[in-house]
Amino acid sequence: MKIILSRLVAVREVPVFLALLLVLIVTGIANPQFVSASGAQDIFLGVAVIATLCVGQTFVITMRHIDLSVGSTAGFTAYMIGKVSGDHHGLGISLLVALAIGLLVGAVNGFLVAYLRLPSLVVTLASLWIVRGIFNQVAGGNTITDNQVPSALGYLGRHSFAYIPYIFIIAFALVLFASFIMHSSRPARDLYAMGSNPPASELAGIPVIKRTFFAFLASGAVSGLGGAILLARFHSADSNSGLGLELNVIAACVVGGVAVAGGVGTPYGALIGALLLQSITQALGALGVSQFWQLAVNGVLLISAISLDRYLTLRIKPTRILRVKS
Amino acid sequence: MKRAIFGWDKGILVFLVLTTIVGSFVTPYFANASNFSFVIQDIGEFMLMAIPMTFLIIAGEIDLSIGSTICLSSAALGYSYRQGIPFWLCLVIALVVGLLCGLINGILVTYFGLQSLAVTIGTLALYRGLCFVLLGNQPVNQMPLSYTDLGSNSIPHTFLPYVTILIFIFGAMGWIALHYSRLGRWTFAVGINVEAAKFSGIPVMRLKLALFAMTGLMAGVAGIVYTFRFASASPDGATGYELSVIASVLFGGVSIAGGVGTMWGVLAAVLELGVIRSVLQLINVSANTLLVVSGGLLLLSVAVPRAIEISRSRRKLVSIEKKG
Repeated sequence: MKIILSRLVAVREVPVFLALLLVLIVTGIANPQFVSASGAQDIFLGVAVIATLCVGQTFVITMRHIDLSVGSTAGFTAYMIGKVSGDHHGLGISLLVALAIGLLVGAVNGFLVAYLRLPSLVVTLASLWIVRGIFNQVAGGNTITDNQVPSALGYLGRHSFAYIPYIFIIAFALVLFASFIMHSSRPARDLYAMGSNPPASELAGIPVIKRTFFAFLASGAVSGLGGAILLARFHSADSNSGLGLELNVIAACVVGGVAVAGGVGTPYGALIGALLLQSITQALGALGVSQFWQLAVNGVLLISAISLDRYLTLRIKPTRILRVKS
Repeated sequence: MKRAIFGWDKGILVFLVLTTIVGSFVTPYFANASNFSFVIQDIGEFMLMAIPMTFLIIAGEIDLSIGSTICLSSAALGYSYRQGIPFWLCLVIALVVGLLCGLINGILVTYFGLQSLAVTIGTLALYRGLCFVLLGNQPVNQMPLSYTDLGSNSIPHTFLPYVTILIFIFGAMGWIALHYSRLGRWTFAVGINVEAAKFSGIPVMRLKLALFAMTGLMAGVAGIVYTFRFASASPDGATGYELSVIASVLFGGVSIAGGVGTMWGVLAAVLELGVIRSVLQLINVSANTLLVVSGGLLLLSVAVPRAIEISRSRRKLVSIEKKG
């Protein structure tokens, strides 16, 4: 029993999931209205964009890099989808434009990080600004309004299947798909190796440069898709769309067990992290705590998550070695 | 490698002179005293924050929470003044709050052994959240004029704003501490190889804790400067400062991998960014282009040394092949 328990805790997603359940149960007892269809819907809606972007970020963080440009890219693509579709092009074309923008940003980031070996923090910080600058130039003071949003996207953003909003279902499907890939496909397994020990992975024959490039490319593409979900969620976009989103995404990843030190984490963990952060925000509201506390509580949660994670890895590692020896 | 980045430092200085010359030719409004004072005022907080951030990044750590810390110390200043505490005491409170914020970051990084990038994203949210807790939605606008005038006026008989004094004092202190003191040597040693530094007897934990505390304290100073400049304390002030400061430090030739950098390179870089911003604004270039230019410069600051390095290693290879 003890072994099962310690193994369960060793799975990094489990404590986060337990915390999520705890938040939901405690809040549900204190305020029964919190556990309702509309409450769940609020949480799912709030989490859809972050969860989508977490997928790309997980790829990148797992190999000990970081992508700060996702907020700018998602905001830009959200705007461009609305703009292109407002000019009477179809949904397909506008989504293609979004994907193209995402891929382009991802390719530039990937090229600079993988082939020129520049630090990803610096490169993506620069592309955060460059994309935001271009975005603001293109958008000016314009706002994409509801009637410019492609009707299919608008529909997905407004409707639900059995109280689960469609955009969350899309995000969830993406997370499942990415989790499967990261669990079973060889190129994605390589990302873990690269993150745990970069020089060793190179010596082991992993095509590090190629993998790095494609991980950033994937993150860019996912950001493009994130833009579509952002637009579907808010039914509008302007030059401030997606501002500061990158830090929320990284926070969700870190809370969900994707360590910035690289080598560990899963997309579904990041999703649970995002759900936890969002439910706490919602729970504070339901418990009547002033909204001004929400950000501070999120910060405390983030710090406790990484502290707990550190504590668990310190505690669990020795037992593992012992077991191997015996 | 070191040499290439050293070259970038000098490049910044050349760049600064060039921008100033070009700036004075393209617009008549650039090269005059009032604009110069404007530029300095504009970059005051960035200058101050770039000094401790240089130490941190050279030591291989990072602090993303400085924007929030500046705001929290400013909010603490405003809040305590609103409670009727004498103003000089409010200033002390602001400094203490900054120091505490830095200490918390430092303790989490050193004694808890956490990654500074993750920790300071957490405290970024936490400190910003506390600003809202303290002030709610109401900014504090009633500040004693005798103090806030310091933020907008110039030193008598000169065109320099008062913040210049702080920049000179702390800049000189930072320069001496980084390049001519044990603290500085330790900082470089830790950044180059933390294990080796540990074994050679450098108290790595205490050093890093001190650097984080220093950053927090300086954010307290910058918070006061910020409050004086805008004569108000609001819960959403100084948003995004962390990225600008880190970008200017990197632009100044400090390596994000740690162990490399100079103080004067960083200070010149902050000034350079301020001057470019001023010139572009004066010739009516939009704020959006400014963003793109800042991003482009940041990329250049890492790409150029890297390109030099690659070409050097190629040359070496070629010469080896010729010999062989």
